[in-house]
Amino acid sequence: MTSHEAPRDSAQAAPIAGLIGSVVTVLALAGTAFAVRGWVSSANERLTTPEAEKPKVAIADQSEVAYCTPRFKEVLDRVLHSCGLASDETRRGCKPSDVKTFASISDEDFNELFTPLKDRGAVIQFDEGMDDLDPAAKKLLEDKWFARKGARYFFVVARASKSGTQTKNRALSHRRANSVMFHLKSVADDPEIDKKVGLLWLGNEFAQLSKEYCGWQTSRPDKKCDDEAVNRSAFVSWVDCRL
Amino acid sequence: MLSGSRTYAVIALVAALLGLFFASTSTLDYASHLDRRLHDVHCSFIPGAAPTSEAEACRAAMYSPYSALMKDAYWGGIPISLFALGAFAFFTGFAAYLCAAGARAPSAAVKFFAAVSATPFLASVVMFTISLMKLEHFCKICVGIYVSSTLLMISGVLGLARLSSPLGQAEARPRLGFMFPVVWLLALGFTTLVPAVVYAGSVPDERPYLTQCGTLKVDPPANAELVTLRGARAVQPALLFEDPLCPTCKAFHERLVGEGIYERLDAKLSLFPLDSECNWMLNEPLHPGACIVAKAVLCGGEQSRQVLEWAYDQQTDISKAGKAGPNSLKALIRRRWGDALARCLDDRKTEVRLNNQLHFASDNSIPVSTPQVYLGKQRLCDEDTDLGLRFTLGQLAPEVLK
Repeated sequence: MTSHEAPRDSAQAAPIAGLIGSVVTVLALAGTAFAVRGWVSSANERLTTPEAEKPKVAIADQSEVAYCTPRFKEVLDRVLHSCGLASDETRRGCKPSDVKTFASISDEDFNELFTPLKDRGAVIQFDEGMDDLDPAAKKLLEDKWFARKGARYFFVVARASKSGTQTKNRALSHRRANSVMFHLKSVADDPEIDKKVGLLWLGNEFAQLSKEYCGWQTSRPDKKCDDEAVNRSAFVSWVDCRL
Repeated sequence: MLSGSRTYAVIALVAALLGLFFASTSTLDYASHLDRRLHDVHCSFIPGAAPTSEAEACRAAMYSPYSALMKDAYWGGIPISLFALGAFAFFTGFAAYLCAAGARAPSAAVKFFAAVSATPFLASVVMFTISLMKLEHFCKICVGIYVSSTLLMISGVLGLARLSSPLGQAEARPRLGFMFPVVWLLALGFTTLVPAVVYAGSVPDERPYLTQCGTLKVDPPANAELVTLRGARAVQPALLFEDPLCPTCKAFHERLVGEGIYERLDAKLSLFPLDSECNWMLNEPLHPGACIVAKAVLCGGEQSRQVLEWAYDQQTDISKAGKAGPNSLKALIRRRWGDALARCLDDRKTEVRLNNQLHFASDNSIPVSTPQVYLGKQRLCDEDTDLGLRFTLGQLAPEVLK
């Protein structure tokens, strides 16, 4: 190639190079444009006609633990409805005759339902014939109440021991349940407390606790515990079940 | 290195193809999210590497306000990678032209190429600086584009060097009319815009989906005492469920603050730590220590926002302390916020307050993931709190963006 020939060669080569450049540019641009349109259209299709369900995400809810068996929930549901908790009605609590009706189970089976609550619940004890909460009872009750975690319902099952008449014991049991409730209301700062606390009072004719409940957390761990003492009580516990 | 008359053009072609590839990958990731689902994203220097769910840096870059333009007008905006895509398509063609022309490439073409090849590099410098200063992450796909741009600029410089070298000056190059660079410049502008125009013209209408994620069922109870985060120019009531140790919440918070949205919200914050120590909805702690940090936010009182932002700013260190155990974490909190706040962490009232906030979340059946956002009573879908945030706000609460 001489210096005289070069410009002519260059002039001949330039259109070919220009053509190559133009074709490549157009192809690259068309390719990207089609790709972009394809990606967006594909997303649009998935949006409007989803082939697969979106992955399920866990939903926040109250806690539900192993002891929430269908049987347990059945009784829980009856208790809550019968005690006016699960609706907006004014809470009225459950008296012994109600419990007999809605529980529809034997004393043993009724108490057995609460066995899984051993670590969660406590037995608040009272003096004979009395319904006052002593300082230890108040502290234990508060400890249990404020250890709510994910539970929705708090059970209070008050009892009276077998000594005395049935009428007297029912009234005493009722007063004990109320003592617990009043104390909870005084410390809880919860306007919805009536919708959370299931309040039952049992006389001496139904579901007496056996001595083995002395082994549960009680408000008088240092005092003698027997069948009589453990039934001068209110059993309290959060219940980690959903309904 | 300068011995071959095509060397610089070959480098340019490789750089342009590489840039085209990385920009395509980034655009694909962006476009796939238009279906409002969560997708794995590509985050590797290796071309063709599979997308992965562990691509926090690339996801953070994608959700950042710098990833797209016109976010108010289009759901997710117009990703800037589209402009890179168009530009690299042009550079691919132009590099092919220079390759084909070799020593006969007009010097005007080489000079033009050298001049415009600096533009992707300058854009990359800007984005690199933003990544460094604002995002504190480097997305590998973005880095791939930065490297391609740098290589392209280097090829332009090499082209110039070739022209001014003795060998280059000996090469006979045709002269071109002054209109050629103008036409090339217009072509560059055109190709840069085409992918964005195609994208904008085909994006789906997301508006019908914005209000499909439910509403608040239960108002916050008084005893939950949600944290008030009222912005200086608040116009829109909002409710946020956040976990102070959740990286997504941190990114979301930074987006709100960075885009000036936070100041327009009259927000209530309900803490939702993803830590099984206090949150019964988890079987194991996703963010160990989050319950303690959530309590610290509650204990902050008037300084709750500062405590929250401290938790976000120092999230890495705080998370480490959380994993080390409650004592390490409490010591860290005490060092920063003093004894009074540290004592408050163990107060029963604080525990009850946090528990009430968790119950508030469960009463509203929110998804067990954070953040969750409500505008008034309208819950925003998760995808509308990241990519689609500005668009969604523009549709549901336009005054927030004013």
